[in-house]
Amino acid sequence: MTSITQMEDLYTQRGKRARELHAAGQKVVGYFCCFVPDEIIAAFDMIPYRIQGCMSEPIDRADAHIEPMACPFARSCFNMAIKGDYSFLDGFVVPHSCDTIERMYHIWRENTPAAFNHFLNVPHMMGPSSDAFYRKELEFFIKALEDWSGKTFDPAKLKDAIKLYNQRRARLRELYALRKPDPPLVSGAEITQLLVAGMGMPADEHIELIDGLIGEIMRRPQPKGPKQPRIFIWGNEIDDTAFIKLVEESGASVVMDDLCTGSRFFWDDVPETADPLDGIVSRYLHIHCPRSYKPAAETREDDLENRFGYIGEFVKTWHADGVIFYIIRYCDTCELEGPDLREYLNVKGLPVLMIEDDYSTSTIGQLRTRVQAFLEMIV
Amino acid sequence: MNFAGIDIGSTMTKVVICNEHEQIVTAIIGPTGAEHRHLALAVMDEALKKTGMVFDQLGFITATGYGRINVPFADKQITEITCHARGVRAVVPSVRIVIDIGGQDSKGIKLGLDGRVSNFVMNDKCAAGTGRFLEVIAETLGINLADMGDLSMQAQSAVQISNTCTVFAEHEVTSRLAEGAKIPEICAGLHEAIAGRVVNMVRTLGIEKDVVVTGGGAKNRGLVKAIEGKVGFPVLTPPEPLITGALGAALMGKDLVEKGAVPDHERRLEGVTFFK
Repeated sequence: MTSITQMEDLYTQRGKRARELHAAGQKVVGYFCCFVPDEIIAAFDMIPYRIQGCMSEPIDRADAHIEPMACPFARSCFNMAIKGDYSFLDGFVVPHSCDTIERMYHIWRENTPAAFNHFLNVPHMMGPSSDAFYRKELEFFIKALEDWSGKTFDPAKLKDAIKLYNQRRARLRELYALRKPDPPLVSGAEITQLLVAGMGMPADEHIELIDGLIGEIMRRPQPKGPKQPRIFIWGNEIDDTAFIKLVEESGASVVMDDLCTGSRFFWDDVPETADPLDGIVSRYLHIHCPRSYKPAAETREDDLENRFGYIGEFVKTWHADGVIFYIIRYCDTCELEGPDLREYLNVKGLPVLMIEDDYSTSTIGQLRTRVQAFLEMIV
Repeated sequence: MNFAGIDIGSTMTKVVICNEHEQIVTAIIGPTGAEHRHLALAVMDEALKKTGMVFDQLGFITATGYGRINVPFADKQITEITCHARGVRAVVPSVRIVIDIGGQDSKGIKLGLDGRVSNFVMNDKCAAGTGRFLEVIAETLGINLADMGDLSMQAQSAVQISNTCTVFAEHEVTSRLAEGAKIPEICAGLHEAIAGRVVNMVRTLGIEKDVVVTGGGAKNRGLVKAIEGKVGFPVLTPPEPLITGALGAALMGKDLVEKGAVPDHERRLEGVTFFK
């Protein structure tokens, strides 16, 4: 089996590897968003599992518990839980990333509790007290895992996990570098499949898969063709290839992203500090999620640079011609961040298309005209 | 050389044939049915008959509109956003903003100083702010869609319609009627509601002169007047506001041919199988 077919297999059969490990007696800990450190779960010899929704299944059962005006991604995840799709999760951890995810903890625990349930409080405003606050919360999390597993936390194991996950980050960055040539050596749809596959398997196995994929990409004939617009995607959760495929089939290359299922969750390494928790705190709390606020800089220009400078670097290094905001409907944090980011990018001469999506593959086709018109505008 | 543009909208299908001097040779408008492919053929056939041309005399055929993929004889598909901008620019060179109110969607297009599309907004998932909204309510009121504009011009005041959702607005109109509101006042209120919704959407582009209103909505005097009220200055409407998309498609074809494009597949009017 090639790495590409293995990746497609893991992408199509979500949670397959995690289910196997659960059946073999390993503890699988499901979590939402980017603020729950994989390393801490792995340090207890458990399998971290990033919870995904299912864009191709209608949300039916969840509506009895959550209003339809709540985030359709969160509703889709919970819908799967009610239907038993997440029965392989031994643990369930929710960070206070946004208000909907915060509420998900209570609704989920009430209706479909796991053996271990934990809520991780994460400060929203970055300031002098936020690191200490988050650190204390991580200590509570570690204590809860100790109580549940009956094991004692070992900082040396956390250090090992940090090394392992940093290796995975380095491999993913290496893969993303293959998107810099024009045309890129790897498609956005392939990247999405690989990232989704990695959400439900141990890091060492994912590293092996990435290495295999990079090898196969380097061996296959390099793509040729006319110059196509290079697109940077910003937004929240893309755990299905449907939208990326729509963009690429319309005649563009998706070359870089700032998505919580993409570069946002893996880009920066965890510093290897004497006390491993210090490195974890400084890395995870400073993830660029629009739910976190930085104190405003003195001028508007400095403020935008302070908040979006890393995106400026991304679009420059990956030679983006245009930016698409992919926002799942009712995501207040992204929708409120959008206008400022649009301003920042427009000043750099980059056109922006904002898409608000229902998190459903059946409505993706309706976005086609908008995406095509945007590409016609760039060419 | 002649160039054809075919615009399959949700409600109407339009064909424009123009010559290399960007002059319209002929324009045909027909209703869009369930069978796009059949219709595309029929309307194109009629347009050719009208000019006495044969199919092979068309140098390039460009399809646009939401049914653009269902035109098997087209050389290229281009979105209606790009085509509307090109078509309106040919009729009103000073245009900076196009407001298109179609049968089932509405859109705002901003043109840069170079005449190219620089930004756009679109409402394509909901009937609010579209021709369909007026069609549904006209039925409720028992009047013709075509008369709504003139009727609303007779109104002394506009009834407030606060629901933008077509289904809820229909209920609201029924209860206003029950309260004794007059039909012209209701029509004026509906135009206010649509204009408010569409202009607010377009405002995100930054409204600049000249504003041109196109699509079926531009044929409704009352709606255009309401849009002017929201925009704050007079807007322009092309002599035939339904065909700017098809005209733009034809002209995009001309632009492409000038850049060296040639039709790259065999084109025939026949040879399409229909699902029955």
